[in-house]
Amino acid sequence: MSTTAGLSAEGASLPIADLEDESSIDTFDEGIRLVGTLCDQCGKRMLGARVVCSACVSTEVSRVALQSTGTLYSFTTMRVGADQPRVLGYVDLDDGVRTLTDLREGDVPLVPDARVELRTSGASWWFTAVAGS
Amino acid sequence: MTDNVFVVSAAMIPFGKHKQSSYVGLAVPPLIDALRSAGVEKSDIEAVYVGHSYGGMMTGQRICKEIGLGTVPTVNVDNACSSGATAVHEAYTAISQGLIDVAVVIGVEKLTQFGGGTLPLSAEDREVKQGITMPPIYAMRATRYLHENPATAEDLALVSVKSRKHGALNPYAQMRQHVTVEDVLAARPIADPLTLLMCCPTSDGAAVVVLASERAKKRLGVQKSIRVAASVLHSGHVEEGFRDMTKPEITYDSARDAYAQAGIEAKDLDVIELHDAFSIAEIIYYEALGLAEKGRGFELIRNGRTTFGGDVVVNPSGGLLAKGHPVGASGVAQVAEAFWQLTGNAGARQVDDARWGLTHVTGGGTAGLDHGACTIHIFEAA
Repeated sequence: MSTTAGLSAEGASLPIADLEDESSIDTFDEGIRLVGTLCDQCGKRMLGARVVCSACVSTEVSRVALQSTGTLYSFTTMRVGADQPRVLGYVDLDDGVRTLTDLREGDVPLVPDARVELRTSGASWWFTAVAGS
Repeated sequence: MTDNVFVVSAAMIPFGKHKQSSYVGLAVPPLIDALRSAGVEKSDIEAVYVGHSYGGMMTGQRICKEIGLGTVPTVNVDNACSSGATAVHEAYTAISQGLIDVAVVIGVEKLTQFGGGTLPLSAEDREVKQGITMPPIYAMRATRYLHENPATAEDLALVSVKSRKHGALNPYAQMRQHVTVEDVLAARPIADPLTLLMCCPTSDGAAVVVLASERAKKRLGVQKSIRVAASVLHSGHVEEGFRDMTKPEITYDSARDAYAQAGIEAKDLDVIELHDAFSIAEIIYYEALGLAEKGRGFELIRNGRTTFGGDVVVNPSGGLLAKGHPVGASGVAQVAEAFWQLTGNAGARQVDDARWGLTHVTGGGTAGLDHGACTIHIFEAA
C-alpha cells in the first residue's frame, strides 16, 4: 500500500494524521509483525507507519512487515517507574531497523548480541532470546 | 572575520531543592549579581537569551521585568539539557557577528515542580510512548560499554565518587557529602547497572553570565574576563538502524569542530565541565572529547587522571552528578564555572594555572537520535 495521504492536495500542505494509527504491530501475509515503512525510491526501511523517507525525502513509501528476528544490542532492567521491574532493550532486526522493545526471559539468557524473536499476545508484543547465532 | 567575544561576569545560586521559589525567584538574584559584578547597567544590555525547558510561556520576560529590563529582544530557548548552553551560543553568535555588544544569558529550571522521579519527556515521541525515560537510555549505554570493554560497575561508581569529592569543595553544589565505591554500588538500583548515586539529582537552579564584545569590555572597564575561543551547536542526526550507543556522533562532531575553531587539541585543556547526567556518560565523553581512545575512557577514572593532580580536571564543580542538574540552567552554570576557574576565582576547587577550559552539554531523549542537541564551548583565560 502506497501512501501519500496527508501530505498535499491541490498544492496545499495538509497535516499528517500520525496519531490515528497507534498500533506497532499488524497482521501481514508473513504473520503478525512490527509495522514498518519501505521507501519506494531509495529502499530505506524505517520503523512504524511513516509518510516520508528520512533519507531521500521521497513521499513514495509503502507499509511493510518488518523482520521478526534480530540481535539484541543492549538492554536494562528498569527499577523505577510504572510496572517495574521492566526489561527494555534495543533490537537490531535482521532487515536493519532498530526498535526499542520490552524483553522477556526465554530459554536462553538475555545478553548483548543474543539472537531474539518477536512474540505477541493480543495487542502486546515483546522480544525473547532464542538459541542460535 | 568574527569579533572576539568575552564572558565578563558570572553568577549562580546554589543548586538544590528550592520548592519555595518560582522561576523568577530562582533567576533574579544571579541576574542582579551578574550585572553588578560586571558593572553593567540595564541600558548597556542589547539582548537577553534565556534557556529553560519547563518554565512555560515568557519565562525570560517574567524574570527580566522584575528589574525593569525590557524593550530589547528577549529570546526564550529550549534545547532540553542544552537549553542554557544554546542560549550562550546564540549570544556569542550575535556578538561575534557584530550585531550587538552586550548580551545577558540566563539559564533557569525548577524540576521539583514535578515532585521527583525521571525527567518528563515529550509524550508524542514513539519511544516515550513505549515507556522510555533518561535512566534506561544511559543504562543501555552502560550495559553495552561494559559488554564491549574491560570496564566494570566499579568504574562507573568511581565517577560518582570523584564528582562528590569535587562537589564537597563547591558551595554551589547540591550534593556535598563524600561517598565510597561501596556506597555507590549499594545504592538503590534505578536501571541496571545504574544505581541512584550514578544518576544526577532532581534540582532547581539558575545561573547568569554576561557576554560582551572586546569594544564593550573596554568601555565598561571590566576587570575579569575570559575569551570565548569556540562556540559550537550541533543537532542529532536520525538513525533508523544500528547506532553505536558508546560512540555518540553528536559529541564527537561537536568536539572536532570546537577544537578546530579554538585552534587547540584535547591535551591543551586544563579544565572540563562535561555532561555527566549519569556516570557512564562521563566515561563515554572522555573518549568523545579526545581524552582517551574509544573503549579506554574508563582507564582515566580508574587511574585518577581526571581529578586534581591528574592530566585535566573534569567537572571540578562536581558536575551534574554532584552540583545538580536543573536542565536549562546547567549549560550556563558550566560557563560560570569556566569563568571562575579561568579567572582564578574558584576557591577550594581552583585548578592551578588554568588557561584553557571546555564546557559540554547534550540535550534530549528522542527516538532515533543519540541526543537532540550538543553544545560545546572552549574558553581561554584573558
